[in-house]
Amino acid sequence: MAKHHVQTTINGDPIEFLCDTEETLLDVLRNQLNMTGTKEGCSTGDCGACSVTVDNRLVCSCLMLGVEANGKKIGTIEGLASGDKLHPLQQKFLEHAALQCGVCTPGFLVASKALLEKNSNPTETEVRYWLAGNLCRCTGYDKIVRAVMDAAHEIRSA
Amino acid sequence: MTSPPFRYARATSVDNAIAKGICNGSAFIAGGTDLLQLWKAGVTAPAEVVDISRLPLSEIDCSNDTLTIGALARLSSVAAHRDVAMHHPLIADTILASASGQIRNMATVGGNLLQRTRCVYFRGQDVPCNKRQPGSGCGARDGVSRQAALFGTSAACVATNASDLAVVLIALDAEINIQGGAGARRVCLSELYRLPGDTPAQDTTLVAGDLITGVIVRNVARFAGRMTYLKVRDRASFEFAVVSVAAALHIENGVIVESRLVAGGIAPLPWRLTQSETMLLGKVPSDAVFVAAGDLAIQGAQPLSENGFKIELLRNSVFRALQTIGGAS
Amino acid sequence: MSDRSVPRYEAALKVTGRAAYEGEVPAVGLLHAALVEVPIARGDVVAVDASEAERTSGFATMVSYADAEPLKPSPATALIRDRAVHFAGQPVALVVADTLSAARDAARAVRVTTQARPSVTHMAQALNTAYVPAMVGRFPSVSNRGDATAALADADRVVRHRYETAANIHHPLEPHAVVCWWEGDKAVVHTSTQAVFGTRAMIAHAFNMPPADIRVISRLLGGGFGCKGQLWWPWMFLAMLAAKKTGRPVRLELTRAQMFRLVGRRQETVQDLALGFSTNGCLTGIAHHVTAQSSTHAEYSDATAVYTRYLYACPNVTTSHLLVRTNEPQPVPMRAPGTAPGLFALESAMDEAAVRLGFDPVDLRVRNFADHDQEAGRPWSSNSLRDCYCIGAERFGWARRPAQGTAVDGRWRIGWGMASTMYPAIRQAAKVRVQLAADGAVLVQCGTQDMGSGTYTALGQITADALGVPVDRVTVELGDTVLPDGPFSGGSQVTASIFPAAAAATAKLRATIAAMAIADEASPLAGQRLDDLEFRDGSIRSRSGNVGEPWANVLARKGTEGLEAEGESGATQHPDLTATSMGYGAVFVEIGVNAGLGEIRVRRVCGAFAAGRILNPLLARSQYVGGLVGGIGMALHERTETDRATGRMLGETLADYLIPTHADMPEFDIALIEEDDPHLPGSVKGIGMLGTAGIQAAIANAVFHAVGKRVRSLPIRIEDVLGRR
Repeated sequence: MAKHHVQTTINGDPIEFLCDTEETLLDVLRNQLNMTGTKEGCSTGDCGACSVTVDNRLVCSCLMLGVEANGKKIGTIEGLASGDKLHPLQQKFLEHAALQCGVCTPGFLVASKALLEKNSNPTETEVRYWLAGNLCRCTGYDKIVRAVMDAAHEIRSA
Repeated sequence: MTSPPFRYARATSVDNAIAKGICNGSAFIAGGTDLLQLWKAGVTAPAEVVDISRLPLSEIDCSNDTLTIGALARLSSVAAHRDVAMHHPLIADTILASASGQIRNMATVGGNLLQRTRCVYFRGQDVPCNKRQPGSGCGARDGVSRQAALFGTSAACVATNASDLAVVLIALDAEINIQGGAGARRVCLSELYRLPGDTPAQDTTLVAGDLITGVIVRNVARFAGRMTYLKVRDRASFEFAVVSVAAALHIENGVIVESRLVAGGIAPLPWRLTQSETMLLGKVPSDAVFVAAGDLAIQGAQPLSENGFKIELLRNSVFRALQTIGGAS
Repeated sequence: MSDRSVPRYEAALKVTGRAAYEGEVPAVGLLHAALVEVPIARGDVVAVDASEAERTSGFATMVSYADAEPLKPSPATALIRDRAVHFAGQPVALVVADTLSAARDAARAVRVTTQARPSVTHMAQALNTAYVPAMVGRFPSVSNRGDATAALADADRVVRHRYETAANIHHPLEPHAVVCWWEGDKAVVHTSTQAVFGTRAMIAHAFNMPPADIRVISRLLGGGFGCKGQLWWPWMFLAMLAAKKTGRPVRLELTRAQMFRLVGRRQETVQDLALGFSTNGCLTGIAHHVTAQSSTHAEYSDATAVYTRYLYACPNVTTSHLLVRTNEPQPVPMRAPGTAPGLFALESAMDEAAVRLGFDPVDLRVRNFADHDQEAGRPWSSNSLRDCYCIGAERFGWARRPAQGTAVDGRWRIGWGMASTMYPAIRQAAKVRVQLAADGAVLVQCGTQDMGSGTYTALGQITADALGVPVDRVTVELGDTVLPDGPFSGGSQVTASIFPAAAAATAKLRATIAAMAIADEASPLAGQRLDDLEFRDGSIRSRSGNVGEPWANVLARKGTEGLEAEGESGATQHPDLTATSMGYGAVFVEIGVNAGLGEIRVRRVCGAFAAGRILNPLLARSQYVGGLVGGIGMALHERTETDRATGRMLGETLADYLIPTHADMPEFDIALIEEDDPHLPGSVKGIGMLGTAGIQAAIANAVFHAVGKRVRSLPIRIEDVLGRR
């Protein structure tokens, strides 16, 4: 099968790649571009570990073909921090111990950032339902909610 | 095991999409959320996917109590649209209850209406399924049947339809615009779906090349404030419905003059509870009347070994849905 | 003593997506792998034909029985050497190719010929073949204390019921993965395993190699819960065989669907339990008999009824375990193995007894508190279970419990329930090495693993505290067989195991530095008394003389490159124990049942846990909540589905197999009750699994309290509680 030539922007940087038709955006990120921060937890859109943003929309990259990324702006976990400076969400996850094995963490951070950009003052219920597309098997979620609420507060007060 | 790789083509226009869609072994891809799951599970094996996602079919328009939704509108765009939120909150709420934020941001209205059943035999491997492999048998009938249908089944298939939006849209008498090789047509959404009969492999009345281009919902104002979608789930969050009920009442002078009751999770297509609807006409809303509606809704149910509880659940869900909207305004 | 709630050591890497898991290790010339599976539940593989597969573009090789034949026979190689098929969906070959897509294409093209045989696809079909395993873990499978049969016959009141628990799947978010290659005769294996040393030993045995020629690396695990162990080895071996055959690195990653089938499950159980009481509420006799599922290719039994031997005071206790072999996947330990299913039965039965006898459920537990280990005839090393009941009940508001079936909140029928939980506190052997650099930097090493359990943080904290330095001065290295021998991760025992070894290593270093300092005329501590010295704030100081200096200066002046010491600790010697060590807890839950619709939601949970001294309250709380949520999953959502006609598992996705999500979460209140335990180094007990048992019964008890229905099987779902609208 012929390969597709795809031009995108990832975390602000112009990136080009060749991919097979059936390669998902997740496959491309992890295997071709060595951006392994985005994780594969299920490959069927049920766990959210592969969450990225496409033109500022939160999506599951495991259900998106690489070729569909042509001309789009992709945002991944690698783009959250500004150099050495952590995003408030990352900082709060750290402070609240909102992670254990860490595999769900990038997906949660990308999803939380998307939430706070839409709604800078969410209630706890809103946070829980927004993040219900991201699964965690280790932490029991409690700390994640606290971290997101705390980060939201910090971002609003900045 | 994942199906073999496919070719990819991007449709340049609706006509171009139809022309490609008519070819053997082609499948449309829009959001891709169901298609790619089916492909990864080895259930479907298209030779070519035709990407229609960039066609200009995502407009949402609301005027004069007519809501028009382009089939390629993303679920999240529909739910967030100001007019939908204001005049059709039932549609917005149903979308928000149907899938995670990630999926809502990718899935389209058309794709949602056309999603295939979640039956574990259909999506499974090495187990009989007449829908997936005609002639192989129906594993659910005598096997794992908790998710199976109560109505509309046949000896060949007991699978249910999975779309929440379809249940609600059919309750609202929605129509869909279809363009295909034979031209354009408009049909009631309820005419899109088929009962399995002897040919369960065909979920819909569409033929190759047919493209749903839009959904139209009219005259909903008469139900204002008296519409609800009740979705019963094992888990508090995203999950396909165990049983669901869309209910709408039009009450004038304290009497029900029109009603809509459609159930999900219990049939191969959204199941119109016509007996209950008819019974409600002319009645004054009361718990006793709603109980009677629930009793009628379950007439003729044919349970299998593990889904019998859905009968009681359906009856109670109809009652609860009506109770929610049938009280003082 | 440092501030105990320090952040997780490796958190910065994890929150930036820079944490490298072993399946992500890059390698030049990497080949991708796909497994070939067969659909029959039982039978034999007659032939595996790759001739068509070989024509796939990018195909490198296929490995199957012929390639595995030279491996030494053992349970770890059985599935890939014997041509017997034991369960539907069993892999029989591995294909490797340049891309994953090509590997899958080729795998699809492999022709496997099988001869099917009649199969048993559910325990219930073969109960007459049940047999008694010799052991259940480290315990005898049958126990008898006193005469339970007579006691039950004479008891004033007997509660006798059958309880059932479904098979669950671990589902860590990271599927199993291996990236492996050969350097001549030496093997390098990057893999997600809970046991790098155990894995190395298995490779050495299978491939008939010296362990020194094998390096197994598992620095970060994306969860394990018990499944990243022995059932992975056959598939990992296939990857290693492919790497050997091609001379290239091979990567194999399991799909989520394969996680349902290939790497273990929580054992399905049917439990018959009888509790005999006198009218004053004291237990007089207990009989707890378990029948559980096993595969046809391996043996494992959860110690399901074992904890019934210990939890309560009762002179007459009999327990037994039976296994039934079926053509289904093999069970392995999973999060609170044994206690999760066993305490569901025991704590449900205790609640049924409380109702029947007219006692408050907490009161009934307290009445039957065991003040020593009656099974082994030993004292407890520490047991604060009564404090757990007391503190938990108080914080939950248990005294205000409404009468059964009376509490409502709108449509919701409210119920309250509670249960006890326990888990053994044991240790494995461990070696820890600590190196001090002349500039004061500290490196601590141990070949154990961190699967999110906080081992990096714990070891860093223990070492930092012992040397009196801030935590950020310590570098921790784990998960590599080039490091000192460390324990496998599981059984909540890692922290307890490494603590004494780290303590021993750091004690040696402190002694050496102290001796250097007092003998060094240039040191302010010259001539001081040894027992007057302490390590604090990065310095070595004299307590009475109030003088000191950074200990790095002591090393620097000596001109040494640095200092190094190893410490060792031994495993719990069970026969030599003079006291039995367990962690305990009491869980209280409030649930709501949506009347008429049957939906069950957990509204709030209070867990009071007593597990020795808590190293890091911040991380501990997280562990407990994670465990409780796992328990909620087992109680209300998780069960595997199998088509009994074919034996094939169904619904192998996370859309069908429901695990709790954010929106399902109740409020959590966790009380950490600290204990000093003179029998345990550092008073460290494991905490990882206390949270995951007990809550299942608490929920079932709360359901009864809410709607008057006693559900004796897990998961409890809509159809179990559906009532009138």
